[in-house]
Amino acid sequence: MNDVQRILRVASRIRRERFSDVRLKIILPILLLFLPGMAWGFSDTNIVLPGGHQPDTAMEVLFYASLGVVFGATMCAVLMAFDGVSKDRASGMLEVRLAQPMPRKHQATALILGHAQSILVPVYALLATSVIVVRFRIGEWPSVEEVLVYAASTGLVVLWYTLFALLASTSAREQGTAIAFGIGVWFFFTFLWALVTTMVAYASGVAVGEANDPAWVALEGMLDLLSPNGVYHHLLETQLPSVERGVEAWQSWGAAMLWTVLPWWALHRRMERLVP
Amino acid sequence: MGLFMPEAFLSFKSVQHRHAVPAPRLTRPWAKRPGPGIVGLSLDLYEGAVLGLIGPNGAGKTTLIRMMAGVLPVQEGRVEARFEGDSWTDLSDLRPWVGHMPEQVRWQGRASVAEALTQLGEMRGTSEKRIHRLLGLVGLGSRREEPLDNLSQGMRQRLSIAAALLGSPKVLLLDEPFNGLDPVAAQAFASLIRKLASKGVSVVISSHMVAQLEGLIDRVALIHRGQLLDEGPLGDVEQRLGLHGRYAISGAGKVEPATLADSEDVVSFESDEEGWTLTVNDRQEKVLQRALDADVVLTSWAPVRPNLVEWLCAATGMSAEDVSLEVVSSAMLPMQVAGVDEGE
Repeated sequence: MNDVQRILRVASRIRRERFSDVRLKIILPILLLFLPGMAWGFSDTNIVLPGGHQPDTAMEVLFYASLGVVFGATMCAVLMAFDGVSKDRASGMLEVRLAQPMPRKHQATALILGHAQSILVPVYALLATSVIVVRFRIGEWPSVEEVLVYAASTGLVVLWYTLFALLASTSAREQGTAIAFGIGVWFFFTFLWALVTTMVAYASGVAVGEANDPAWVALEGMLDLLSPNGVYHHLLETQLPSVERGVEAWQSWGAAMLWTVLPWWALHRRMERLVP
Repeated sequence: MGLFMPEAFLSFKSVQHRHAVPAPRLTRPWAKRPGPGIVGLSLDLYEGAVLGLIGPNGAGKTTLIRMMAGVLPVQEGRVEARFEGDSWTDLSDLRPWVGHMPEQVRWQGRASVAEALTQLGEMRGTSEKRIHRLLGLVGLGSRREEPLDNLSQGMRQRLSIAAALLGSPKVLLLDEPFNGLDPVAAQAFASLIRKLASKGVSVVISSHMVAQLEGLIDRVALIHRGQLLDEGPLGDVEQRLGLHGRYAISGAGKVEPATLADSEDVVSFESDEEGWTLTVNDRQEKVLQRALDADVVLTSWAPVRPNLVEWLCAATGMSAEDVSLEVVSSAMLPMQVAGVDEGE
């Protein structure tokens, strides 16, 4: 068995363990409500969004339905991974695992892949359902490219929150701290980021919330690169030609790469120094 | 104990691992400094020998075992081995050679015993056949399909030792393995350890109970405040520390200790309505003669092992009170994180 096979084996074991957890039974209805549920709601042909806007393409509907990913799937990623390390540390299993002759970096990679898979499998199944729901409701399929970008960006945002939760889990010595940190990060980027944007805009002398003010749109677009949820929406907007927020596609994908590489590297570093 | 002269095959030379402890400053509130741990310790492990690692709580036994297991890094010093062939070579990663059983592992969940072990085996590339053989070896063969949640403490300890044996280790490290075991389970566990040693596995057992390891270990290492105070065969170490040949003599009625032994030979004397017990150092014939001369009725006569506090007093020259205070204060020091900048 080579290193890659071993990592995949361990990751698959983590995924199977998570699948048998009770928490998945709690998470599934939330995902069901937030993913296909939102797709169903936003694909209503009579829907009128704030500002009188009506989504008229399949990708536009999926873009609005991505709110379900931001609110539901990312939180579920945190709930799946918050005790990825701290639970083993509390039970003494972490010491047993660290004593195995598998490099710690490989163990970290297996942890990331296993936890990400455990949330991505149901998320992807429900995203596929969402696409079918949209097709059924508005009579139009999204293009292959749109589906690929939608799937890749959703996979990335779920992976980022998995990484944050695992990082918290390596630092926390008990479960409460781990979940508080994970949910705290989720809450900050999901609910409080608007406040950060507003404060920066105010400090920069930009009129806050003026959707037609190019300065506000540009500032919000740039600040969104500093938030995982913002980058997620930037990635989706690469498939919406009508949206122009002053951020190029390469910038969005570059930010996505940084949001992936930095926490991944940080987790590897933590694992290298981890003490049971 | 052993019928052959075991050979050293793993050598720790002046190894060190000091835990980082918080040392906040105004400019660097996250700063840490090296705290307690293992300092400049040299120790040899012998093929097929059982080494007892003795020391009070906080002495550094677990830190040393974790270093030996490759869980904590060796910050200074060298580790040499000659597992294959006669020449010593530097060893940077001990984990392929070492099996480690931590002090308390709470095996829990709905996974079966066999599944739990297979999952760990995947990290070592251990075959399923070997896993099943190991379960048989530790006496869990009939409980392969039992969920982890249903296991007793003794069974969990057996599963832990099976996990430690996954990679056919040359060295087996057992951290306080008798904790939580009833006498029956402890006896079965001890015979399993002897069986493994007879197959050439070098076993290291940490404990703060000297008497618990009697009859099981070939050598003993006395650890205190992260340093090795003495090491060698149990009898030799006792002799060096002046603790050998100790006897507890009991009798009926009332007697003055001076009637039986000179004050310098008396270790302790206790008496009540039922009788008395005198513990003496290496002068049993003299005591017996005096007892016969004074018509004292003796009820029992048995060798006794000195306890850990007596060992520490003899090795450090400190009083029992000072040793006790040392134990309490060193055990209270934080010993959690490695790497000076952890948490930065």
